[in-house]
Amino acid sequence: MDVAVRASAAAATAEDAGHGRATARRRPRVGVVKFASCDGCQLTILDVEDHLLEIAERFDIVEFAEATSRRSSGPFDVLLVEGSISTPEQAVEIARLRAEAKLLVVIGACATAGGIQALRTAAEHEAFRAAVYPVPAYVDSLATARPVADFVQVDAELRGCPISPEQLVELLVSLTTGRRPQLPDQAVCLECKRRGIPCVVVARGLPCLGPVTRTGCGAICPAFGRGCYGCFGPRENANTAGYAQALVTGDAAAGADGRGRDPVDVGRLFAGFTGATQPFRSVTDSLAGRPPVTLRPTLASPPETLRAGPPTWGPAPSAPEAPSAAAAKEAPDGPRQ
Amino acid sequence: MSVATEVPTFLPRDRFDDLLQALAAGGRRVVGPTVADGAIVFADLERAADLPAGLTLATAPGRARLEPLPAGPGARRTFQYTVSGEGIKKFTFPSRVDALSMTTDLAGTVRVKVEAPAEPVPLAVVGARACDLAALAVHDRVLIGGPAVDPDYAARRSDLLVVAVECALASSTCFCATMGTGPEVTTGADLVLAELDDGFVVRAPSAAGGRIVESLGLAPAAPERVGKAAAQTAAARVAMGTDAIPANARDLLLANLEHPRWEAIAERCIACANCTLVCPTCFCTGQTVTSGFDGVTSTAARTWDSCFTDGFTQVAGGNFRPRHQDRYRQWMTHKFATWFDQFGTSGCIGCGRCVAWCPVGIDVRAELTAFAATAPAVAAVPLRDRGTLQPLAPPAPDALDFRRATVVSITPETADTSPLRLVTDDPAILAGTPGQFVMVGVPAFAIPPISISRYHPDGIELTIRAAGAATSFLTRLRPGATLGLRGPLGRGWPVETAHGRDVVIVAGGIGLAPLRPVIDAVLRDRAKFADVRIYLGARTPRERLFVDEIEALAAREDVLVRVTVDRAGPEWLGRVGIVTQLFKTVRGTGTDATAFICGPERMMAATATTLGDLGVPPEHMWLTLERHMECGVGLCGHCQFGSRFVCRDGPVFSAAELGDDLRREGL
Ligand SMILES: Cc1cc2nc3c(=O)[nH]c(=O)nc-3n(C[C@H](O)[C@H](O)[C@H](O)COP(=O)(O)OP(=O)(O)OC[C@H]3O[C@@H](n4cnc5c(N)ncnc54)[C@H](O)[C@@H]3O)c2cc1C
Ligand code: SF4
Ligand code: SF4
Ligand code: SF4
Ligand code: SF4
Ligand code: FES
Repeated sequence: MDVAVRASAAAATAEDAGHGRATARRRPRVGVVKFASCDGCQLTILDVEDHLLEIAERFDIVEFAEATSRRSSGPFDVLLVEGSISTPEQAVEIARLRAEAKLLVVIGACATAGGIQALRTAAEHEAFRAAVYPVPAYVDSLATARPVADFVQVDAELRGCPISPEQLVELLVSLTTGRRPQLPDQAVCLECKRRGIPCVVVARGLPCLGPVTRTGCGAICPAFGRGCYGCFGPRENANTAGYAQALVTGDAAAGADGRGRDPVDVGRLFAGFTGATQPFRSVTDSLAGRPPVTLRPTLASPPETLRAGPPTWGPAPSAPEAPSAAAAKEAPDGPRQ
Repeated sequence: MSVATEVPTFLPRDRFDDLLQALAAGGRRVVGPTVADGAIVFADLERAADLPAGLTLATAPGRARLEPLPAGPGARRTFQYTVSGEGIKKFTFPSRVDALSMTTDLAGTVRVKVEAPAEPVPLAVVGARACDLAALAVHDRVLIGGPAVDPDYAARRSDLLVVAVECALASSTCFCATMGTGPEVTTGADLVLAELDDGFVVRAPSAAGGRIVESLGLAPAAPERVGKAAAQTAAARVAMGTDAIPANARDLLLANLEHPRWEAIAERCIACANCTLVCPTCFCTGQTVTSGFDGVTSTAARTWDSCFTDGFTQVAGGNFRPRHQDRYRQWMTHKFATWFDQFGTSGCIGCGRCVAWCPVGIDVRAELTAFAATAPAVAAVPLRDRGTLQPLAPPAPDALDFRRATVVSITPETADTSPLRLVTDDPAILAGTPGQFVMVGVPAFAIPPISISRYHPDGIELTIRAAGAATSFLTRLRPGATLGLRGPLGRGWPVETAHGRDVVIVAGGIGLAPLRPVIDAVLRDRAKFADVRIYLGARTPRERLFVDEIEALAAREDVLVRVTVDRAGPEWLGRVGIVTQLFKTVRGTGTDATAFICGPERMMAATATTLGDLGVPPEHMWLTLERHMECGVGLCGHCQFGSRFVCRDGPVFSAAELGDDLRREGL
């Protein structure tokens, strides 16, 4: 569940960021870099208005192309990486950056799942190139656009296209407090229901990827009367085969005539922003009659628990003697709270 | 003062606005069905014109579509449908409410406060159906019926006016008649409306309802109107039938927990959780913690959760219900079987919401019927006799409170495990018993359950293994910090039942922590027990807990201590192997022994088997279960283990109480 954050790196960061202590500590150096992507996720970072000042106070943003012209080569305490790896140079560059970063966090559908450009992984790369570019020989690209975790160890991920500003803040808060970031891996449906949005599958017969997609967006699409596009990628244990089957048979989202959907359309539904993830890709492949491919899991590192740094509030390490029960009793609001 | 009156009156359709005004008198918020987003949505109801006039909701498994009413004299009716996707639950039990606030000052004094609900806004709900009221009664039992009381629900429930509507038709998904909850409205309403083409027959079963009828000056309804209203509800009953699910559903499910059908359902079920979130009786919640960057203040919101999610049963180191089939089985057995054991009622009131709002159209009625077809004859399963040792406490208003204790020392025992010595003068904490636990609150973190591992005259000890974020943080606190503690909670070890008997204590790893108070209690009254034997297992010699203490015990004449490790190092001269192998070396572990066991679940199951083979009776084998916990007091639903709530019915259970469930996968 949740996001995996590598132990040592997170502990170091928690210590660096300091929490409400008078003693100033070194602010963690944060970098934001991008590969093949649209910059939308980076822009989200500027979108956290209420917290922007505090983030700038607590973190030293040393590299952020969208916001400043400063350039720094690292090292980074936290490196946020946007975009998928789609050229040979990028593959080299991400390896270099990994060596410079204590904590590498991939952000957005491109970096976590390949993104929309990973559609080419299910197609003929040369044919694509020839169709798009007048002189394909000028374009040096890898045959696939792949998530960052296919190339280097990743410590944490923020999903979405674009990422959610709230989740970004939650991740940063978890770094300064040492608590487990609450980035639920459950289906969009839960948020949809909590918000009281009538299900578009049941009420309107629209196909919606919400049941197999990870929550985090706040169920934006159903709130506007459309089906979920799956931009946060597969939820835990997504039963994509069962859902695709139901869309084809008409058990789910049947039209007015009670009939199901064309398998080709259902396949396309799963081939969007995060279509290059195993649970979605296997549906697209099987509905298109292609042999199944095995993709690497999006999060390369096995989920580990975030380790807290030592608490920064509380008595100083040199606290002389501990208060007694009597002292606790004297506290203004008494022992019962 | 007027009184409740059962004399039906008549409200002409064009006077419905007067009714809404009367309800709103005194600033009461009035909500009811409206049309939004292609569905019927309960929202603020200002005018009769906001009602879904001329519409019906055609439901089927996986379908709920708004359709125009057929032309005719009833074409402008406003309640000519049954239940919408959401009931009145979103008002009485909202999806997210503030539950706790936690702060600390720089000196480390932690305050955890149970949020008092904001001054409840008096509410009137228009359009609740008979099944909604039955569901409300179920929630009353679960959330305010004890032992703990949900303060937010209690507040919202305290000033609720219900204007019910008696159904004039049944949807294809309705089965209230089978469940005995409708379609006639019998209890729980202040006013009951039955819609006719030109207006409403109004009954006022409560005094508050009677006052409203009086203020409106309604005339008695003509007998033919009353008759017509009764006839349409009777027709709805007939249309539904009374055999939607097998009458012995509970017995069927409990006798077939390992049936291959569970796996078959799991291929279709996408574990989307919609069925649980639309269900008006589902009550499971989690605590969503939010904090600032400094971690000195945080709030925990009580948020709707569902047993269909992975996180629901996740614990540090594993998941108890990893498969969809485990989750579907939990949902269905809870609704139709174990709810009876827990709350004395069915968990399903037959509204059919889970049928219509399942995106892939899974129909509980069909699934139950299929079970009946494949496993026809089953014996009745008796209701579990809960609380044989300690009766359930009555509702306690302070059950959720956090008491305060101060850390005086933390002395690491192993690389990841540290006992925290706490002082407190809180009488409730000091009055705890062996095997009870506390929920530990510090700002910014989830609230983990931790066993009390020793009682002192002026405080307690907690032995904490850094298994995740909160526990890591706790083991790094410094002396002088205070903690918020909810508890002591749960049913502990019944040490007295071992008086006059041999005592066998078996602990694996951190499992020694909750058993330490048992050892303390036995040694304090050593003469009351016959032989005392303690068997300890650890993964490696370095991971042994309380080594000095155990050596001192081993030196005693009147206690036998055996220690084993899974993997030895060069320095280890003791035994190697699993803890169950130790019993073979000892005579007399048999019918006269009472065993207290704590460790990983597999280890406990293996121990229970071995001890059983040696003759220890199952009702004298006690073990303590671990499940994901969010509340510790029986309100959040996370810790369910079959019909039991581990937090309030346990965590200590006898092998006899657990029966086959101890070895059941995915419970
Ligand atoms: C009755 C009982 C007594 C326990 N006694 C002790 C003890 O004496 N010493 C000790 O070290 N540990 C004990 N545990 C286990 C301890 O509660 C978990 O290790 C702890 O909750 C992990 O929380 P975390 O925030 O560090 O980890 P995370 O993995 O970040 O967990 C987050 C939240 O999930 C829930 N959760 C996770 N793991 C568990 C779990 N194993 N059991 C219940 N809820 C869980 C809690 O709500 C927790 O706050 C006990 C568990 C139970 C049920
Ligand atoms: S609209 Fe989509 S996300 Fe929302 S409940 Fe329905 S299927 Fe789930
Ligand atoms: S289980 Fe289904 S039919 Fe029963 S009360 Fe819940 S939603 Fe309604
Ligand atoms: S455990 Fe029971 S009450 Fe809780 S969500 Fe599941 S079915 Fe509903
Ligand atoms: S039964 Fe239906 S609504 Fe419930 S979790 Fe399964 S697919 Fe979702
Ligand atoms: S019901 Fe919440 S922990 Fe048991």
